[in-house]
Amino acid sequence: MSRNKTLFMIMVIALFFLSGCWDRKELNDLAIELGWGLDKEKNNQIRITAQFIIPSNVGTSQTGGGGGKGKSFFIETGTGKDTLEAVQKMQTKLSREVFRGHRRVILLGEKLAKQGLAPILDTYSRDPEIRLRADALIVKGHTAKQFLEASYPLESIPALGALKEHMQIGGMGDTSLLNFLKAATSEGINPTLPVINLTGSSKGFEVTGIGIFNKNLQLIGFLNPSEQKMFLWIIDRLNQHILTANMPQGTGNAGLFLTKLNRKIKPSIQGRTIKCDIVLSGEGVIRENNTKLDLTQAKNLTLLEHVFEKATENQASQTLKRVQTQYGTDIFGIGEAIHQKYPSQWKGLKKNWDKQFREVQMSVHASLVIRRVGLTGPSMQLNNSDIKK
Amino acid sequence: MMKTFRKIKPLKKAIQELERSSELPPNVQDGVLHTSLTENEQALKQIFENCSDIVFRTIIINEQAKMLLVYVDGLVEMKTLDQVLIKPMMFEGMPNGLKDAGSVGKIVQDRLIAFSKVDAYSTIHEVIQGILKANLAVLVEGESQALLADIKGFEKRSIEEPSAELVVRGPRDGFTETLRVNTNLVRRRIRSPRLKMESASIGDLSQTDVVIAYIEGIVQDPVLEEVRQRVLRIQIDGVLESAFIEEFIEDMPFSPFPQIQNTERPDVVCASLLEGKVAIFVDNTPFVLIAPMTFWTGVLAAEDYYERALYTTFIRWIRFVLINISLFLPSLYVAITTYHPQLIPTSLLISVAAAREGIPFPAVVEALMMEFLFEGLREAGVRLPKPIGSAVSIVGALVIGQAAVEAGIISAPMVIIVATTGIASFSFPRYNLGTAYRMLRFPMLFLAGMLGLYGVACGALAIIIHLTNIRSFGIPYLSPIAPQIPRGLKDVLIRSPRWNMTHRPKLIVGEEKERIPEGQQPGPRKGGLNE
Repeated sequence: MSRNKTLFMIMVIALFFLSGCWDRKELNDLAIELGWGLDKEKNNQIRITAQFIIPSNVGTSQTGGGGGKGKSFFIETGTGKDTLEAVQKMQTKLSREVFRGHRRVILLGEKLAKQGLAPILDTYSRDPEIRLRADALIVKGHTAKQFLEASYPLESIPALGALKEHMQIGGMGDTSLLNFLKAATSEGINPTLPVINLTGSSKGFEVTGIGIFNKNLQLIGFLNPSEQKMFLWIIDRLNQHILTANMPQGTGNAGLFLTKLNRKIKPSIQGRTIKCDIVLSGEGVIRENNTKLDLTQAKNLTLLEHVFEKATENQASQTLKRVQTQYGTDIFGIGEAIHQKYPSQWKGLKKNWDKQFREVQMSVHASLVIRRVGLTGPSMQLNNSDIKK
Repeated sequence: MMKTFRKIKPLKKAIQELERSSELPPNVQDGVLHTSLTENEQALKQIFENCSDIVFRTIIINEQAKMLLVYVDGLVEMKTLDQVLIKPMMFEGMPNGLKDAGSVGKIVQDRLIAFSKVDAYSTIHEVIQGILKANLAVLVEGESQALLADIKGFEKRSIEEPSAELVVRGPRDGFTETLRVNTNLVRRRIRSPRLKMESASIGDLSQTDVVIAYIEGIVQDPVLEEVRQRVLRIQIDGVLESAFIEEFIEDMPFSPFPQIQNTERPDVVCASLLEGKVAIFVDNTPFVLIAPMTFWTGVLAAEDYYERALYTTFIRWIRFVLINISLFLPSLYVAITTYHPQLIPTSLLISVAAAREGIPFPAVVEALMMEFLFEGLREAGVRLPKPIGSAVSIVGALVIGQAAVEAGIISAPMVIIVATTGIASFSFPRYNLGTAYRMLRFPMLFLAGMLGLYGVACGALAIIIHLTNIRSFGIPYLSPIAPQIPRGLKDVLIRSPRWNMTHRPKLIVGEEKERIPEGQQPGPRKGGLNE
């Protein structure tokens, strides 16, 4: 018995030494990649561009002191028939193994996006080393390589700058690839991706709206930033929003900082016509008031709320109209809402949904609530006589 | 267990019998005292041959009676001996002469020896034992009995604050090396006849006094019986510290976790006795054993009960967190950086990667080296004389903390990890449980280095399984968490106020389960003071 026990123990211990360590990788043997770019190449090939950090240059200034450090990142490229082949080509130029677990940003060249993303997307959901929580962005007018080569003064790793910019505009950053894949696989909604653009001096970049895809995952058009905001609000992915509206009589404008944004999509089918009522709601704080209104008066608040609601409704219906007429792809998920409410009718509608979508009669209704008006009622610089009670 | 016990006892007796007879010289018949003083003296002198610390003093009283005093020099109180016994006997003699008395010995016992505790013995063996236990032996001509007077008077350390268990608030007296002083410290705190102290002698040569203390009615009888049996069956040549006893009576000798608590504090012993535990006092050591022990008593400090309840609860949770840090932090760091770098937030990963740049060793080797050095530093600091000890820690901190990082041999995050772990491992209120954790850190590091988080999880699981398996004198080690006793959690997860701890630990206590009556929550009287 005790001999068996000893034998057993030896075998268990041997198990550790025989099987252990096979996937052990020290941090200083990894090339940590944070940004990733995809471009179209000739001969139906793709080119990948990766932004790697140079750890010795990003560390704390403990040893440097002088500040004369080099760049904290570098760029490497590879081309191939698919991503894996391209990565293999790239690996031959790198002394350390490519580590993709921390990839934060995937950049897609405009040309590649227009050609269609379907052939290259598989690896992002199959490879266990890649995480789905990455931001996918379309580079408008440039290639992804050009974008990754640009430097950005605020962040030592430019790719992270792109991610943070996307988060700043109120969208939920870090998840656009996941959302893209979700939308691509479900019926009744078409995928979109945010668009980023190099600013003229190539010393930075800005998020300039979103790109609209059709069901074949081809880029077919763009929305501008204000349309993007409305789009995000309608698909319920907007965290906060600053709304500025002009008073109808041309007596100044006011700014509302909105949180607790919500939306409801209420489709209804009457005979052959499909109607869709979209209710946008939110609560906010007045952050700027260039009108002469005294905001401590309840009637003035109601007036302002009404102005803001009108502005929202206008913007939203313009966005909806443009998408419906110009692109005709349902990026708002109207089809999904109909599917949920009218499952049986949806079966007939879904085959021809893109065409049907153009015919949907949209109406937008906004209901905004002003919770607080800030520290003062009327603007402080106004004379008492100017203030409209 | 009972079987081996029964087998051992007759054997033990036989051996002792054999030893006793071989101790005695051949001319002493049957080990019984004679009436002749000269013969007795010769026999004793033969036994104590070459024992220069044994004093033989002959006194002749009134030119008639001859007496022999035998004692160990230094163990009896010389002043008392001179003033109370020798001086009056030699100068004043018997008060009324000897004629009317029946026996000299009787007179000596009744009238002459003014000590509180005097007994008569008739075998040489008993006399020898008495002398060695710091008694004064008085032998009288014509008597086959010897008197043993208890006038112990050896040097002893005064009561000091125990150095291993310090408190901000609480009593500052600690046990000493003298058994009687230690039992007195406890008796002064529990003045009840129900506090029992059974004594025994363990060790064939050392004959060390051992006292098993408990409170009748509160102690669980099977536990007490088990303690008694385990202590009494010990066969050993000498007991120099209570650890000797501990190693003979613990349930799982090869477990890294201690199953018997030890303490230098009388208040801790009293608190344990009041919960129904058994204390084992051993002569010549300030460390008193307390059984049964649970894991949680190892992480609770004496002061927990002297500070306010809310604060203690807070400190307890900090302690729980630190305890886990002390076991898992280095292995988690190694596992995550070498196997799962995906798990670290990106910016942290970049910092760690930057710090690891140019480090020649793999993370696991680095961690093992640093932990090894840390343990070495601790060991060196404990053993060295005090003035050098501080120098070692300064040099160690400089070498490890600063120079190694600057030389690019060790990465800075690793120094932070090891230092944090070190601090955390000293947050154990009981030193011996901390040692278990410090030791287990190394196998955990190996597992982390070879299998990553999977290894850490396996190791943690193995430790938990082991912990649930331990029994200390029949009490589950993890109680009251496993098995769960809801009422017991009041003193583990939180520290409930005193008036709320109405019951003694369920699994440990015997008959009297209730500690205090309920409904003693303080507060202002309803309706105010005027009513």
